[in-house]
Amino acid sequence: MNLDGKNIQPIDAAVSAKPTSIFHKKKKANSSSMQYFLLLLPPLLFFTVGMIIPLMMGIYNSFTDWDGISLEKHWIGLANYMEIFKDEMFINSFKFTGLFMIFNTLIQNVAAFVFAVFLDSSIRAKNFYRIIIFAPVLLSPILVGQIWTKMYGTILPSINDILGLSINFNLFSSPDTVLTGLVIANNWQWIGYWMLIYLAGLQAVPKDLYEACTVDGGNWWQKFLHITIPMLGPSITICTIGIATGSLKVYELIVASTGGGPGDSSKSTIMYIYDSAFMSQRSSYASAMSVVFLFVLLIFAFIQLKILRKREVEL
Amino acid sequence: MNKRYSKGTFLIQVIVTVIALFYLIPFLIVILYAFKSPEEIISSSPFSLPERLEWDNFSQAFEALNFLQSFANTSIITASAVLLIILLSGMAAYSIVRGRNKFFNGAYMFFIAGILIPYQVIFVPMFVLGSKLGFINNLFGIIFLYIGTSLPFAIFVMAGFMKTIPKEIEEAAFIDGCSIMRTFWIIILPMLKPVAAALTIILSLQIWNDYLLPQLFLSDNSMKTLTVMQSTLFSAFETNFNVGFAGIIISSLPILILFVFMQKHFVKGITMGSGK
Repeated sequence: MNLDGKNIQPIDAAVSAKPTSIFHKKKKANSSSMQYFLLLLPPLLFFTVGMIIPLMMGIYNSFTDWDGISLEKHWIGLANYMEIFKDEMFINSFKFTGLFMIFNTLIQNVAAFVFAVFLDSSIRAKNFYRIIIFAPVLLSPILVGQIWTKMYGTILPSINDILGLSINFNLFSSPDTVLTGLVIANNWQWIGYWMLIYLAGLQAVPKDLYEACTVDGGNWWQKFLHITIPMLGPSITICTIGIATGSLKVYELIVASTGGGPGDSSKSTIMYIYDSAFMSQRSSYASAMSVVFLFVLLIFAFIQLKILRKREVEL
Repeated sequence: MNKRYSKGTFLIQVIVTVIALFYLIPFLIVILYAFKSPEEIISSSPFSLPERLEWDNFSQAFEALNFLQSFANTSIITASAVLLIILLSGMAAYSIVRGRNKFFNGAYMFFIAGILIPYQVIFVPMFVLGSKLGFINNLFGIIFLYIGTSLPFAIFVMAGFMKTIPKEIEEAAFIDGCSIMRTFWIIILPMLKPVAAALTIILSLQIWNDYLLPQLFLSDNSMKTLTVMQSTLFSAFETNFNVGFAGIIISSLPILILFVFMQKHFVKGITMGSGK
């Protein structure tokens, strides 16, 4: 069927097709397909202009030397890509982003899981705790970055003065501790989000499984290991992929807290792409980095999905 | 609720309380500092109560945030983007699920592939294209981009729900002479309420708190969003940073209040949106 967008005229045909449709079955099918197509057209337009064309442009520009402003654009082949793998700043930003992702994925997953199990027990005032742990999710990462900058820089050190201690709270001031500081801030914000997903998963576990285990003489640890964890397999998959891809994209939190410093020690990949495009006017180079980064994201999501899905089956 | 309050439960209660305290400390600090005077930040301990409530911090922060304007901008962008995303994703999902031929399946795969591409990796060409299309300093432009980049996920969720709607209801409408478009508008759209509510929550949270796009596209002072104004708070008030803390309270209060009243919907929205 011809759906290349040129024969949109049969709108009135679609309307008038109604009485005759009994006799012309094929015509009816065509006109209803056309109506469905007309419904699909606006979303298709938004998606193509908003995502697909920029994606294509980005891929094309990554093979040029375009600065983002001038009218001149030269095809330079893979030169940008060659440069990326020699660019120490890119490699460092990539390393930083990778470490940020690994720590976040581990800590956030475990903490969210454990908090959810705690809040699914028979303790009191569960809702109160849930609200508190979820509240930071509602703040913009900009505010979270600012709050923790002040916490580390001013507020916690003044607690040292009062108590006469000398704990190093100033995590954002040294390249060795800046990652820790950002991981803490990021976890403070997002654990509550994933906790909700684990909580929903826990509430969907059939209670008679636990009862059967009790009858068989299983203790709480055995229940946890052999019922809770396997039953939450899908939630673990969702959270792991969500946290990992979310932390790879980190930008706002860092802009509002360390600004990539001290030095360039906490510059994330997105931040470096931003700087290359809009500070050093290297639009094409930034595009090449985006393409590489997208590839990494895709490979990651794919591997994670494979491994986690496989584990779900095994469990 | 007085069933089984064992030793183990008590232990968990204690642990959870400690965790909650860790969570509360930053909030507490923000509130305490927002009410202190500039002299008091230096002289008093962080956890001391303010001597008197310094409301002046709030009026200064209100001005620095250009609050009414930036709040209105953020609201307009979020509300229109979310509304249109829901309408458009509903249209796409309906035609894909009911159209059911190779073309519509292909279109579905085309959209779904977009889920894997976060806008953070295409914002450079997005800006290039956007400046050609006149999207700079244009609220509609940024709304357009939010729609384009959020549609894949929304269509994915919508299509999943659409498959559960029985066809019989529509067929009755068709027999009565209702066109497909009218059927979508009158019968299908109202049935999408549960997914629409879930999507509204997740998408609003994302768009409301987004910083990268508005910072890139909206440089005109009258168009800046809340997040962009927030980012300038502490650089503008370096010494009397309690104004910054007051600004944090002012700018996050609307969404916190909304959460308190719509808590159930938030929980549902988040678990539904990412749960499938």
